Amino acid sequence: MIRTRNLKRLVIASMGVGSLVGALVAPAQAADPGVTATTIKLGISSPTTGSAGRVYGKLPGAMKAYFDYINANGGVNGRKITLVHRDDKYLPTLAATQTTNLILKDQVFALVGALGTATHSKAYTAAALAAKNVPDLFVNTGYSGFANKTKYPTTFTILPSYAMEAKVMAKYIKDNLAGQPFALFAQADEFGKDGIAGFTAAKTPPANTQLYPTSSVTSDVAKTYLTAISATPLKLVILFGTTDVTATVLKAAEDLNLVGKLTFMAGSVGGDANTLLALGVKPTTIDGLVAASFFPDAKDTTDAYVSQFMEINTKYNPGVTFDNVVLQGMNSAMLTVQALRAAGKDLTRAGLISAIESKGATFASAGLVPLNFSSTSRIGYNGYWFGKLNAKGELKPATGTTPVVYTTDSGAGDVVKSDYKRLPLPAKGIPTNS
Amino acid sequence: MQSRFDSARKRFIAFVLLGWILLLISDRVGELRNYQGAFVAMYSLAIACLILLTGYSGQLSLGQGALMAVGGYSAALTATKLSWHPVVALIMAVLVAGLFGLIIGFAVARLSGPYLSGTTLALAIALPSLANTFPSLGAEEGIIFDVGKAPTRFGEAFSQYKWFFWISALAALISIWLIANLLASKFGRNWKAIRDNQTAAALSGLNPGRLKVTAFAISSAFSGLAGALLVMLISAVSPSAFPLSLSFLILTGAVVTGVYNLRGVVFGALVLVVIPEIADAVVTSLGGSERLTSTLPGFLVSLLLILAVLFTPNGPGHLIHFRKKNTKK
Amino acid sequence: MKLFDTFLTGLSTGSIYSLMSIALVLVWRSTRVINFAQAGQAVLSTYVGYEIIVRTNSFWFGLIAAMIAGAAIGALIDFFFMRALFKRVKSGPIVLVAPVVATLGLLGIIQAITGFIWGLDNKSITPPVTTGGFTIGDRTLPFGPLNLLIVVAVTVSLLILAIIFQRTNIGLSLRASAFSPEISKLSGIKVDAIRTFGWALSGAAGGLAGILFVSNSALNPNAMDVLLVFGFVSAVIGGLDSLIGAVAGGFVLGMAINFAVAYIDTQMIFPTTFLILILVLLLKPSGLFSRSKGRRD
Repeated sequence: MIRTRNLKRLVIASMGVGSLVGALVAPAQAADPGVTATTIKLGISSPTTGSAGRVYGKLPGAMKAYFDYINANGGVNGRKITLVHRDDKYLPTLAATQTTNLILKDQVFALVGALGTATHSKAYTAAALAAKNVPDLFVNTGYSGFANKTKYPTTFTILPSYAMEAKVMAKYIKDNLAGQPFALFAQADEFGKDGIAGFTAAKTPPANTQLYPTSSVTSDVAKTYLTAISATPLKLVILFGTTDVTATVLKAAEDLNLVGKLTFMAGSVGGDANTLLALGVKPTTIDGLVAASFFPDAKDTTDAYVSQFMEINTKYNPGVTFDNVVLQGMNSAMLTVQALRAAGKDLTRAGLISAIESKGATFASAGLVPLNFSSTSRIGYNGYWFGKLNAKGELKPATGTTPVVYTTDSGAGDVVKSDYKRLPLPAKGIPTNS
Repeated sequence: MQSRFDSARKRFIAFVLLGWILLLISDRVGELRNYQGAFVAMYSLAIACLILLTGYSGQLSLGQGALMAVGGYSAALTATKLSWHPVVALIMAVLVAGLFGLIIGFAVARLSGPYLSGTTLALAIALPSLANTFPSLGAEEGIIFDVGKAPTRFGEAFSQYKWFFWISALAALISIWLIANLLASKFGRNWKAIRDNQTAAALSGLNPGRLKVTAFAISSAFSGLAGALLVMLISAVSPSAFPLSLSFLILTGAVVTGVYNLRGVVFGALVLVVIPEIADAVVTSLGGSERLTSTLPGFLVSLLLILAVLFTPNGPGHLIHFRKKNTKK
Repeated sequence: MKLFDTFLTGLSTGSIYSLMSIALVLVWRSTRVINFAQAGQAVLSTYVGYEIIVRTNSFWFGLIAAMIAGAAIGALIDFFFMRALFKRVKSGPIVLVAPVVATLGLLGIIQAITGFIWGLDNKSITPPVTTGGFTIGDRTLPFGPLNLLIVVAVTVSLLILAIIFQRTNIGLSLRASAFSPEISKLSGIKVDAIRTFGWALSGAAGGLAGILFVSNSALNPNAMDVLLVFGFVSAVIGGLDSLIGAVAGGFVLGMAINFAVAYIDTQMIFPTTFLILILVLLLKPSGLFSRSKGRRD
């Protein structure tokens, strides 16, 4: 008896819920969602909690700060930008649901600055970004898979691919370190594997490769690894992972008295000097660490872009220290503003995508390497420069006084020196392009 | 005999009716609700598996995520690498995960409480990360599991999310109906017997070891299906889709449902989907600092979990029944 | 040489695992609960220690503060939370699940609170002695004063615990109430108070493990998550009931992981852990150091 009564109640309840929810759903709109005469709504799904949140948590805040700055200065074609952030904790399932939320619930016009390969590759399909033609701007991943235009027709990535990074590293080793054999200590996911592919493409596969699962490297594991490496003739160790792992390995090298004996190179993701120092790596250890970058040094106040972004950060993002992640966020936001301007007053999703394809390579950006957007290329920066950190944690050119920029592709293409000069900073950091 | 037949028929009618209602609802709600509904169905199945294992056979597993991963990988590999039909892929998920559960079950199912949970916990951590070791498993971008669009005869307006919901809900309904029948059968009674008093059960001729292994394998098989559904919903499989937190989430759902009985699984699953939404809404309306925004959702979910354990340890369904008995007096 | 070096890193890894393992075993013995919240308790106590270190510039004050804070947090959790839980949840299969879920919930709450107060970014603690390794001739060993300090700390805590358990009335009551709470209650032992004491001891051990672990890495709300799992596996390897087993389990696991890294591959860390666990459970199901045969039903 109870069961049938419950059943009846269930039927009634679910019907009630059904009709209620049905009533709440807005009717379909003809125009692209997220744009009105006075507003543009953008969305980002990225981690702000969990272990990845510790590294990249500042990203959405930095982007918001820049958008606020632009809004205070008139917005884009009279429209104010709002950025809706949803935390995905760097988990694929959450990224899929949060991005779907951004599209279906928040009704954003476009996505900007999504982060991570495992997460965003799922989110892209789950949220049907391709079918709805949602622009997916400046994704923060170096995974070369996103460059595949048939699979990700609306995606533009911003970081050079990890394979490019490895190839440029190989070139650097050949030119400046006598092409000596090296050991590679890399994260056991697409990050490390793309790296190995890059070194292999450059015909200099690592003499010793160790892949480690994320969050498994303790100081003892690092010591065991370094002890094993120091027993081999190898003198050069490349660290292809996040900065906290670089810190653990460098501290282990300090403890084992190996700092002078081994040379360390860190990838662009793993060489953030502020973080290294905050994690207790000695300044003397950092001094001389070779690191790759495509940005100016985030501590270089003589750089026009950096000092402008710092000013914005102080005013619109109070209490947050300026570092590489903040620089990256503001830079992506600035590119977004230029893309929105380039798409014109009648803002549509298709218009935004074609604007980046046709004009993206001419956007002003803080990067010291060229932007490579075109109708065939979806990867933003396509190269690196190499620097050495000094004891203060500033990245200085490894040779000479100005950074030497190398560019390449993710495949078998050559690594070439580039004499690219970036565009000057738009007045007060407010783009005026069209 | 007559009454058991009756209740089985009633159960069948109830499930068909529920399916019909869900069908009606799916027509009336938007894409987002359909997508969320699909998640609710998937979680319901996963929770039902844990209830079978823990509530009935008395084995606490903290590694449901690993079993789901086995199913997810099987389905994606079958559909993408072998290019077989998605339905075959779902069935493969059940078979492979069931077999896997059988093997693991032989090793662990005879362990008592904490040892079993410890081993399953280690399994949840070790297994997904192992997938990164084999390049053929697709690393972090993963292997795509695409069930395709809905048949054209359903019409143009039939969205992908509604199709997801139909598949998810149908798979969950059939599976949970099977599980419910199983629990009402001799198996269910025997499981309860060994759970409540193993020695007595063994004396009366039951084989606790074999019963526990069976429970483990069956739970694993359907968990595999839930995993395949999860992979379908997020479009591809990769190791980080099955973090330890997924196993804990399923456990939370089971506790909120009440581990004794299946009846509230949809409620438990609903909570898993709705609570983060509520937390999000609270955070948005509060505004607040960056720190509050990043920590409040976790706080609210954990708080709810604790309140549920403290105040309705046997599930809210149990609470309602208890009240009902009181008011009848 | 490689063999010896790996042995040394295994030793220092193992000693940290041991402390965490001890913390879990202490609660298990007194309450029959696997305390997942321990990862949170240890982090919170370590933050307290961190604050003291920042204010007093003394690592040792910080260490003591972390242990006291750990003990207090442990006692409070038992007194205000676990007691209520056990009062409400008495029978049925929920008894199996409720404590696990409750401690998981506590873990989430503690991590949210620490994240809110101290932020999610890393803090570092300067250790009192150099982390650099001892040198023999021109070789630097992967083992230095800090590692020695940790090993000594583990040994001392084990000795103190052994004295408490073997030589004092409280210890006797602890053992008795773990063995049979009903009979203990009948013979006049205040089982509840004794249990709270067990939680406090465990919290202190967790605080110690936390501050020592962090002085060699970095402090953040999730810093102890992985440590908890390894500590737990160590405890199971050693037989959940035995303190000596907990320590031995910690060293077995520490050695195994470091040997796997040195001789096979870094990717073997988690598979090795699982393999050892399964092997121990299959071949010596009573645990390496457990006297009773409680492992199988």
